[in-house]
Amino acid sequence: MKPKKLSVGMVSLLVGLAVALVVPLIIGSNQYNMVLVTTVLLYGVMATAWNVIGGMAGQMDLAAGAYLGLGAFTVGTLLIKWNISPWIGMILGGLVATGFAALVGYPLFRFGVTEVWYALSSSALVEVLRVLFLLWEDVGGPVEKYLPFHKWSLYHLRFSSYVPYYYIMLGLLLIALYANHRIARSKLGYYLLALGENEDAAEVLGVDARACKIKALMIYAFIVGVTGGVYACLYGFIHPNFFDGLQSTEVAILGIVGGMGITYGPLVAAILLVSGREFLRSNLSGQLESLYLAVYAAVLIVIALFKPRGIATLLQDAYKQILSRIQRDKNVQADTTNF
Amino acid sequence: MSKPILQISNLTKTFGNLVAVNDVSLNIQEEEIVGLIGPNGAGKTTLFNAITGLYKPDSGQALFKGTDVIGLLPHKICRLGMSRTFQVTQAFNNMTVEDAVRVGAYNRCSEKEVQAQVDEMLAFFDLAKVREQMCSDLGLALLRRVELARAMATQPELLLLDEAGAGLTAVELDELMDMLRRLNQERHVTLCVVEHVMRMVMGLCARIFVLDSGELIAQGQPAQISDNPKVIEAYLGKRALR
Repeated sequence: MKPKKLSVGMVSLLVGLAVALVVPLIIGSNQYNMVLVTTVLLYGVMATAWNVIGGMAGQMDLAAGAYLGLGAFTVGTLLIKWNISPWIGMILGGLVATGFAALVGYPLFRFGVTEVWYALSSSALVEVLRVLFLLWEDVGGPVEKYLPFHKWSLYHLRFSSYVPYYYIMLGLLLIALYANHRIARSKLGYYLLALGENEDAAEVLGVDARACKIKALMIYAFIVGVTGGVYACLYGFIHPNFFDGLQSTEVAILGIVGGMGITYGPLVAAILLVSGREFLRSNLSGQLESLYLAVYAAVLIVIALFKPRGIATLLQDAYKQILSRIQRDKNVQADTTNF
Repeated sequence: MSKPILQISNLTKTFGNLVAVNDVSLNIQEEEIVGLIGPNGAGKTTLFNAITGLYKPDSGQALFKGTDVIGLLPHKICRLGMSRTFQVTQAFNNMTVEDAVRVGAYNRCSEKEVQAQVDEMLAFFDLAKVREQMCSDLGLALLRRVELARAMATQPELLLLDEAGAGLTAVELDELMDMLRRLNQERHVTLCVVEHVMRMVMGLCARIFVLDSGELIAQGQPAQISDNPKVIEAYLGKRALR
């Protein structure tokens, strides 16, 4: 039973990966489409990382933009001021985001801030950082700071096509998925799930709530921070508006709608919803400005009503049905041979 | 010779003006089964919460194997070897039975040992058949057993059971008492049960403590307790004594 499940997961992962690898060959000539698919992957990475703190540990984190921005500003500033490669900057950006996460996470978890209060505090964090970076003119400031232009430089991570960024983002997505997969099958993963379900019960079973949540927050912040570095190179500038509260909320929405605690759930949600939203935006905005948001919201409401545990459960149910049908066919065959 | 595993002295816990536990002192010996009874609101659950780290008592001491556990976080207390179940079942609804037990098992097991411990607990509590089921799909009797298995998977020396028998049928209650006796005899676990079901308390416990309005009003063997005028008064009122 167990190895079979794994192989189905592996097969779908490999098929997905194969499709993802050839996407640029098909639509690579259209740069607008390339930005779209890269954006879908960007949300996929962030929502997958969010799954560790939000989906597993049940902490409704709305601060993805804070870590994304910190990563972006680390990479951007290092590159602009000291010509340090974004490859190094990305790791440092991840570490800056992680350090910041530990700093804000410690008091929040020390005093047991959960649920709405955690959501509000983390959401405020994004806005605080945005204002701070607007005022801190050396690094941020109200005017965009552009990264140096290079037509094609791997060292500077600057390309005149979106295709390389797409593949880098795909790499990050694989790392995020792998991290999720490993955590979900480890002590930390079971502890986080238990905390998400019932904190008191988990604690009397030996779960160190504070330590586990801080670890989860730091892993999430690191992945999003690194992603922020790529984000800065992708857009070619840094600006305090990268600390985006709306975007942060959307990451959480994708995590919830995809299926809390399910490794591939947030990714499925990102693929369906972000591409759907962009499709609606480009097709509807001609007639009615922001009608796409109304349709998008309606879709979210429908999912919340009929599949409150997430889109991923649709796939799980379908898989179970196929399994039971195969089992039934086998039984029928066995019965007929018996006669 | 038996020695004390838990020594509670002068424990007091107040909520505003309400004194929920008032200056309670009691000892539990290694490997015995004791009961903690009293009318609703007597402070039994508060006492449990205070010594497992969920509440912070106002004053007092609770020495578990010589270490004062007051002020420690719940997971540290579990680490020392004390675990508990809850009066209202606190299930991990979206986890399978197996995974719920695994959470407890990680307390003392490495990644390599954990599966063996899970399997052992599922077998001991006769849960192997439902291991793949979600906890949210289980009935009360099974849920209580999962909670027991979960708590026992942490390999405690002292297990506190908060009304584990409430709401069970007679048959289920017999099964539960049987399991608890086996835990005590085969695994040498000290048990402290808070219970309203008298059949369970009288059948299981060697000694009983009685709480009323936060105070310890009696302690002793089951027969002494059921004849104790103070206990009868607490449960039935003064007129019952005439």
